[in-house]
Amino acid sequence: MSEPTPDDRRAAAVLASLPAMTSQRLRTLLHRRSPTSALAVLGGREPLDAMSGRLFRRAPELRDRWRQHLRSQGPIAADRCDELGVTILLPGTTGWPPQLVLDPDPPAVLFVQGDPAAIDARRVGVVGTRHPTQRGRQIAARVGHELAEAGVAVVSGLALGIDGAAHRGALASRGAAPVAVIAHGHHRAYPRSHAALFREVAEHGLLLSEWPPGVEPERYRFPRRNRILASLSEIVLVVESRETGGSLITVAAALERGIDVFAVPGPIDRRASNGPNQLIASGAGVMNEPGDLLVALGLDGARSGRRAVDARPRPTGDAARVLDVVGDGGAELAQVAGVLDLDLADAAMAVARLERDGWIVEADGWFERLDEWAGVVH
Amino acid sequence: MFATIPSAVILGAEGHRVSVEVHVGDGLPGFHLVGLPDASVREARDRVRAAIMSTGRSFPSGKITVNLAPSQTKKTGSGLDLAIAVGILVADRHVPPDAVRGLGFVGELGLDGSVRGVAGCAPMVGALASVDPVVAVASRREAVVATDRHVRAVATLTELVDTLACEAPWPDHDDPDPPESVDVAPDLREVRGQEVARLALELSAIGGHHLLLVGPPGAGKTMLAERLPGLLPDLEPSAALETSMVHSAAGLALPAVGLVTRPPFRSPHHTASQVAIVGGGSHALRPGEISIATNGVLFLDELPEFPVHVLETLRQPLESGRMSINRAALSTVLPADFLLVAAMNPCPCGGGRGEPSDCTCGHDRVRRYRSRLSGPVLDRFDLRIRVTPPDTDQLMSSCPGESSAEVAPRVAAARAQALERQGVLNGRLAPAHLDSVAPLTESARAAVRHELERGRLSGRGYHRIRRLSRSIADRRGGESVDLCDVDLALQLRSALSPTSTGRAA
Repeated sequence: MSEPTPDDRRAAAVLASLPAMTSQRLRTLLHRRSPTSALAVLGGREPLDAMSGRLFRRAPELRDRWRQHLRSQGPIAADRCDELGVTILLPGTTGWPPQLVLDPDPPAVLFVQGDPAAIDARRVGVVGTRHPTQRGRQIAARVGHELAEAGVAVVSGLALGIDGAAHRGALASRGAAPVAVIAHGHHRAYPRSHAALFREVAEHGLLLSEWPPGVEPERYRFPRRNRILASLSEIVLVVESRETGGSLITVAAALERGIDVFAVPGPIDRRASNGPNQLIASGAGVMNEPGDLLVALGLDGARSGRRAVDARPRPTGDAARVLDVVGDGGAELAQVAGVLDLDLADAAMAVARLERDGWIVEADGWFERLDEWAGVVH
Repeated sequence: MFATIPSAVILGAEGHRVSVEVHVGDGLPGFHLVGLPDASVREARDRVRAAIMSTGRSFPSGKITVNLAPSQTKKTGSGLDLAIAVGILVADRHVPPDAVRGLGFVGELGLDGSVRGVAGCAPMVGALASVDPVVAVASRREAVVATDRHVRAVATLTELVDTLACEAPWPDHDDPDPPESVDVAPDLREVRGQEVARLALELSAIGGHHLLLVGPPGAGKTMLAERLPGLLPDLEPSAALETSMVHSAAGLALPAVGLVTRPPFRSPHHTASQVAIVGGGSHALRPGEISIATNGVLFLDELPEFPVHVLETLRQPLESGRMSINRAALSTVLPADFLLVAAMNPCPCGGGRGEPSDCTCGHDRVRRYRSRLSGPVLDRFDLRIRVTPPDTDQLMSSCPGESSAEVAPRVAAARAQALERQGVLNGRLAPAHLDSVAPLTESARAAVRHELERGRLSGRGYHRIRRLSRSIADRRGGESVDLCDVDLALQLRSALSPTSTGRAA
């Protein structure tokens, strides 16, 4: 295909913004046709081809619905791309990620914000639950940071929890720029609390979506987004996930595409570690430290493992023992006192000292251990 | 003929004296009731007529006018029946006027002439300080509580008229059986494990600190809350009288000894209406649950399920210990000095065994659930602790924990110490007195300063931590507030916000 004209790109944005549009339908409409001509078909200015004809036979109401939408909305989606500085990429043209060329279920058009070169680096997808433990969050941040330091781009979904922590870790480094695949248009940030993170990723890395501005984050779009996320990664790492978590959809997509899956092992009695532990049991790679990923990518893993400078005063006596107890996956005050056979008041003192020195954090009466990456996460 | 008979009506938890003036004269036969009676009082006409006939006396055939003075306030309740009947009998010359001199009447009449008790008898009799009250047998116990005068009890109107008209001796009735006495207060010994919660209950009792229990279903939150009254000392005489008055006004039966001497425990369901909880309704402004719980414990289970506007109305009584109820024509102030204990799940799903990773709710759901509690309401709780179900070993263990009888003396001693030192419980300490009453040691001051600087403690939270640490120091018998007290106080006031990891507010 020759380089598309600006009109083609705008037409693709308009087509992708139609209601009830799916990647499959969009691919059908754009099969051997330029977006401009597909738009003309919908407008009735060009005849239907066989494939589009089949599409409308299967869903006859679509035609009127789309026509009406085109009449009322016109090229709004394309205009918003211009306003937001969103570049529209079409398959087979400059900037189209080569990883998607042979994908079994590729997007028909991509909308990107930021630096397209970010995708040229080595890439590792970091995914996980939206409700991680403090430990999971810290691991994600640490992995994100060390990958970026080693020049590997972190690919993730900017969701709450693990995704966000991995991106924050990567952004805290001056290394490789992060890549985010989102499930909705660039006009908004979802979740809202990640608005600042969205801006940062768009500024320093690449923010990529299958859908144009104006498309809202509906539930069904997230699992679909995961296949692009997997496809753009060379390795997918699952940090924490429940046994039925959305991250496992990403894993399935990765396996389908022959992409290696790694998982972070965790305590067997923590729900958040059920997913990774099961993946390991069924043959996923084990990540004990971020260097393992670098080795798997064929990079020099020896450089990794450098930790941020730890200026916290080392705990001693009771406090050190309390830290051990809390470090095993979180605890509450009564457990700490019970395990160590301490008086509640003494346990409270030790816990309070550790909290003041930044070794543990309390939420709802539950304590979890902090490492030096905690500052990045929050 | 004309007669004036003293009686009383109730407004909130206070009695108000009412003079029942009866005039029986010539004219078209009729029975007129004036002086702003409401529907319940107006119905007295029919009851009084039937009751007087039941005594065998004739009902006056002339025009009867009954005035309830003062006549510009609204009267409500059936307690005026007896006074109206006696007034008519005096005015109709069935009873000599001298016989009723120095007597006041409070009671409801049945059609057969029986005299029945009414809710609020104690405060009403209290308002009749200058006369000997005559009440129903069922109300005698309540009446004795409220007055030093000689209380007479009658079972029927016939009996009363015979006594008054023939100068017969007053009948002698046994008090009815007291209500099935509430079971012995549940004992702390039955609680297994729960060290933190036990400590929190004890501190709550020592300092009057409001307590919030957060934990999954089955963690024993209700069980713990029910054991708090058992740790509190008996009520002081003035508090006992105040509580008894409110209980009487609310129509609750008083215990056999008359006064309510043990702190009450009330646990209204979250579907209770605002009026049921804070008081009001009708012209009597009935006391709500918060007033019934005065000088005792108010337990709100499933706190976030309570309507927001109900929770917000609790702010004034929590601050001042009083609830003022104002309506267009009437207003009253009810005592509402209660210890608030509330329980809630950490999130809508209940959170499994209580570890954060057990929760299956989304972030937003948790936030919505908790946002029903406003900061100011949450802020009233000095103690906010997490309760998790005891593990199997603890549950099956045969060695019981400390019993209420062991903890209560410690509580009593610490309370006495606080009252002697500053005149109020630690939980009610004014910020201005904190420095003189609860001085911080150097290290404790540094710890609190650190919390404030990191923004994990708000200004209000700062005062609460200092009050709570005063109670902790009192518990161990410490003179000034040390670092260990502050540290413990900080741990017993954990955060309750799903996103932040601070303990602001």
